[in-house]
Amino acid sequence: MEIGVCSNKNGAFIKLDPRSKLLLLITISIIMIGARTVEVEGVLRLICAAIPLVLLLSIREYKASFIYLLLLGSALICEKHIAPYTHGICNIVLMMICGLITRFVAGYMMGWYTVKSTSVSEFITAMERMHCPSFISIPMSVMFRYFPTLSEEYKSINDAKRMRELGHPFSQPLTYIEYILVPLMMSTVRIADELSAASLSKGLSAGEKRTHICEVSIRPLDVFAITGTMVMFVLFLVY
Amino acid sequence: MIEFKNVSYSYNVVDADGNAVDKGGVSNINLNIADGEFVVLTGGSGCGKTTITRMINGLIPHYYKGTMSGTVKIDGKDISERPIYETAKNVGSVFQNPRSQFFNVNTTDEIAFASENQRREPVDIKMSISETASSMAIERLLNRNIFELSGGEKQIVACAGINVLSPDVIVLDEPSSNLDFYAIERLKEILQNWKAQGKTVIVAEHRLFFLRELADKLLIMQNGEIVQELDKEKISTISSAETEKLGIRPLRLDDLKAEFQHREQSDITITLENFCFTYSDGEHGIDIPELEVPSKSVIAVIGHNGAGKSTLARNICGLEKRFKGVMRYGKKTLKNKDRLHNCYMIMQDVNHQLFTESVKDEAVLSITDKSLSEEEKEKKALDILSQLDLNEYADIHPMALSGGQKQRTAIASGLASEKEVMIFDEPTSGLDLSHMKQVSDELIKLRKLGKTVFVVTHDLELILSCCDRVVRLEKGTVMENYDICENNISKLKAFFGKEAM
Repeated sequence: MEIGVCSNKNGAFIKLDPRSKLLLLITISIIMIGARTVEVEGVLRLICAAIPLVLLLSIREYKASFIYLLLLGSALICEKHIAPYTHGICNIVLMMICGLITRFVAGYMMGWYTVKSTSVSEFITAMERMHCPSFISIPMSVMFRYFPTLSEEYKSINDAKRMRELGHPFSQPLTYIEYILVPLMMSTVRIADELSAASLSKGLSAGEKRTHICEVSIRPLDVFAITGTMVMFVLFLVY
Repeated sequence: MIEFKNVSYSYNVVDADGNAVDKGGVSNINLNIADGEFVVLTGGSGCGKTTITRMINGLIPHYYKGTMSGTVKIDGKDISERPIYETAKNVGSVFQNPRSQFFNVNTTDEIAFASENQRREPVDIKMSISETASSMAIERLLNRNIFELSGGEKQIVACAGINVLSPDVIVLDEPSSNLDFYAIERLKEILQNWKAQGKTVIVAEHRLFFLRELADKLLIMQNGEIVQELDKEKISTISSAETEKLGIRPLRLDDLKAEFQHREQSDITITLENFCFTYSDGEHGIDIPELEVPSKSVIAVIGHNGAGKSTLARNICGLEKRFKGVMRYGKKTLKNKDRLHNCYMIMQDVNHQLFTESVKDEAVLSITDKSLSEEEKEKKALDILSQLDLNEYADIHPMALSGGQKQRTAIASGLASEKEVMIFDEPTSGLDLSHMKQVSDELIKLRKLGKTVFVVTHDLELILSCCDRVVRLEKGTVMENYDICENNISKLKAFFGKEAM
C-alpha cells in the first residue's frame, strides 16, 4: 500500500480537504450499508456509489476505478438477474456475496482513496485543525508511514525464507507464521526506534505547535461536498 | 562552539539473559569544536563515535537511556538542560539508515518537516525549498514517494531538509554507508557547501576517502576514548599504509594495492543465459543475453545505484518467479527453481534471514540432507560453526550477536545447505577496517571451499583485497567482465572515480 503518493501530483483535478474526505467516507459507508435499494434511498445509494468512482478517476487510478466498476456492476447484475433463478444454499451464498459487495465496496474504495490521496502532513494538519491532540495525531500518522515499511520488510523476509526453503504457508502454517513474524517484529522494532530518534532530532515534539507548508483549507468544493453529504444524510434519516 | 568536559556515558541495556547491564558509550571525553570546524570521528564499530554525535543532537541524554557524567555545551548552553526540540533548531542530523530516518512519505513534506517543527512561516519554508532544490539540483526529487528513491537519493533528501532548516551545527552518523561512489561524490559536494557557508560539521564515518579535502581534524576513537588526533596537514598527506597501521580505512584510494596471491582458476565456467528481466514499472531491469564467469572464484558485481545489480543477484537466486533465464554450471543447467536450491544470498540486512533461537539451530535448520540423523546434523552444524569461529556462540540467540557475527551466522546456514553459489549483497556497508578485512577473509575461505561467490559491492577496498573477477553493469547490461590483474587495475579504479586514480 502506498500512502499519500497522489496528494501532490499535478494530475489530481479534484482536491478535497482531508476533513471532507473523512466526512464523505463516513456518510458513504453508513448510507451504503443502511439504505434500502428503492425510492429516494435508491437514488442516494447511486450517488454514494458514484462519488468514489469520480474521486478515483480524479487521481488517475484507472485500474482501481475499473475494478470497482466491474465488481459493483457484476454484483448488481447478479443480485437482480441471476440470483432469483437459483435456489437453496446456492441462492443464499450468491445473495450474501452480492449483498456484501454492493454494501461494502463503495465504502472500501472511498477509504482507499482517502488513504491514497492524503499525505502524512496533510493528515496531521487536518487533525490539528479539528483540535485533535497531537498525542493522537502523531502516532496515527506514524502508523500511516509504517505500512509501506512493513511491506518492504515483509518482502525481504519472505525472500530469505524462500531461499532457505522453509515453512510452506499451507503445509506448515505455524512454522510459516513464526518465520515471518519473528524477524518482522525484530526489524520493525528497530526501525521504529530509529524513526523516533530521527523525528525527535528533527524537532518533533508532542506539546509544541507546528507550521505546515501543505495547504489544508476548506475550499468551495469542500463546502459543496460537506453540504451535499449533510443533505444526503438528512434525506437518509428522514426516509 | 561545542564543548565536551569530562564526559562519560554508558548505555543501560538488557543483555541476552534479561539482566540490566551498562554497555559501550564513551569515557572521559574532553573535546572542543570551534565554530565552522569540520571534524571527522572514526574508529572501529562500537568505539563511541555515534555516541558523540548523539550527545551533540541531544538524543543523549533525552532519548537513549544511560548513565552520563560531565557536561556537553553548545554555545554555552548545556544540552542536558535543553529540550530536544530546542537543540533541533541549531543542530541538524543525518543518520546512517536511509530507510528509517523519514517521518513523511512525500519528499517535499520531509524536506520541510524540521523547519515546520520550528514554526517557520510556510511561505518562507517554501521559498527555502525551491532555493535548495535549485542549488542542489534536486528538482526531480521533489514531490516523490520516498519509498521509490534509492539509498543515495534518500540521503540527499535528508541533506536538503537540513539545508532548508539551515542550523549552525550539522552531525552526520555514517552517512555514506549505503551509498555508491556517485552518490558519495554528491554528498561530498553538499558537505563542501556547508563548510563554505561556515557551518560546524561533525561526521562519524568509516569510509574516509571523500573527507580528505574537507576535514580540519580527524579523531580516532577506541573503546570510548579519543586515542589519536590528526590535523589538516597530516590528513591530506597520510598514505594508505599508514592509515592501515592506525586501524582505520584509507583516506586515499589512489595508492591502494590489490592482492593477487589467491588465483588458481577453475576450468569449469558458469554461464548465465538469457538473463533478461524487467520490473513492472517498465524502466528497471536487466538485459544480459550471456555472461560467462569462472566458478570457484570471487566475482565482484559493480555498477551505480539502479544499474541492475540487485536484480541480477535476485535472479541468480531464482527469486523472481516469472523469470526465464537459466544458469549453466559446468554440465548442469539450472532453471529458476533449481537455482533456489543451489544459490544462497547473504542479504544486506542479515536480520531478515535469521529465524531460529540459537546460532546452532540456524545451521541445523539449513541442513536439508534427509539421510542424516539429528545427531549427525548437529555435528555437521558444529563443524561449520567452528570453520567460521562461531562455536562459542552456538547456543546464543542470533539477535544478541553483533552485526559481523550475524553475517557469519547467515554464511554458516548457507554452508550448511551445501549450496554451490553464494551471493553477498553489499556485505561491507557500514563496516570498519577490521570487519571489512574479516569479510574479505571469509570470502576467500568460501572460495577455498569450492564455492562460487558473487559480491554486489561499492567497496573498492573489499574488491582489491579478495575478488578475482569484476562484472560491471550499467543500465541493466554488462559493460565489462574481466579478471583482476595488474593490467586491469586501472580500469577498475577508473570506475571508482577520480579519487581512486
